[in-house]
Amino acid sequence: MAYSDKVVDHYNNPRNVGSMDKARTDVGTGMVGAPECGDVMKLQIQVNTETGVIEDAKFKTFGCGSAIASSSLATEWLKGKTVDEALDIKNTDIVNELSLPPVKIHCSVLAEDAIKAAINDYRTKQGAPVAAETVAH
Amino acid sequence: MFSGPPPSDYFAIFGIEKKLALDVEDLQRRFYANSREWHPDRHARAGAAQLAYAEAASATLNDAWRVLRDPVARAEYVLKGEGFNISEQRGRDVPPELLEEVFDLNMVLEEARNGDAAAKAEVARALAKFERILSEIDSARDGIFVAYDAAPGRDALSELRSLLNRRKYLQNLVRDARAALV
Repeated sequence: MAYSDKVVDHYNNPRNVGSMDKARTDVGTGMVGAPECGDVMKLQIQVNTETGVIEDAKFKTFGCGSAIASSSLATEWLKGKTVDEALDIKNTDIVNELSLPPVKIHCSVLAEDAIKAAINDYRTKQGAPVAAETVAH
Repeated sequence: MFSGPPPSDYFAIFGIEKKLALDVEDLQRRFYANSREWHPDRHARAGAAQLAYAEAASATLNDAWRVLRDPVARAEYVLKGEGFNISEQRGRDVPPELLEEVFDLNMVLEEARNGDAAAKAEVARALAKFERILSEIDSARDGIFVAYDAAPGRDALSELRSLLNRRKYLQNLVRDARAALV
């Protein structure tokens, strides 16, 4: 299967690979997995608790090129957004940006789920009510 | 018996009821018997219609044998027939604690592939644990098989669907871990 140039670029030069201390109260961690392919994705955000702006984002994904590219792109988009704005990121935005073929759409869904899981984790730590259930669809 | 096409259903081609728990030895006896009966060579001179039936029946029988002899493939076949498709499922079938362990195993796998001896030992330890989880899943699966056959219902199938998703998820990982230890 042919990957788009953008997928190949993120795969060869993934942005923001790494991890943060998940015990920190200003860090939200989202860990998700896809039964279809065995992928596992960890996505973390570090939020300025005063402004609600995501100052840093890191990921580590074990999976196919599309899963890595989807999470790499997600961390790029997250940085500089407020937590509320970040919740507006949809898997379809990722699909469009990376030109993912239909068989790889679940990779973008995984990235969206990881973002939501990370935000929920952050909000729980901050004592705020959790908006939506993470992966219930 | 040679009027119309042979059954396309995998259980029907064996002449058995739809069951999740099957006696594979009995299935094998039926496979050999039906294979002999429908072998195209035995029907070569019996006319085009009968030969076509025998060829179609033999082909379906071969596919059905390959699927029904394997408990996981058999369960997937029944689930698909009942509308439980794997691609409609999402990550919720893998519990968070398990995801953490899967992630950690992937981390040490990466180190082991880079030649780290300590990481290799850790992979071996984790592998033993994940193989134990897999065999627990298989026992649970067999339990659902028996329960479903006694009282078919959507709840049992839904439980089976998520169990098999979890199994599939772990199996890929176990395969990778075994490969890293060779």
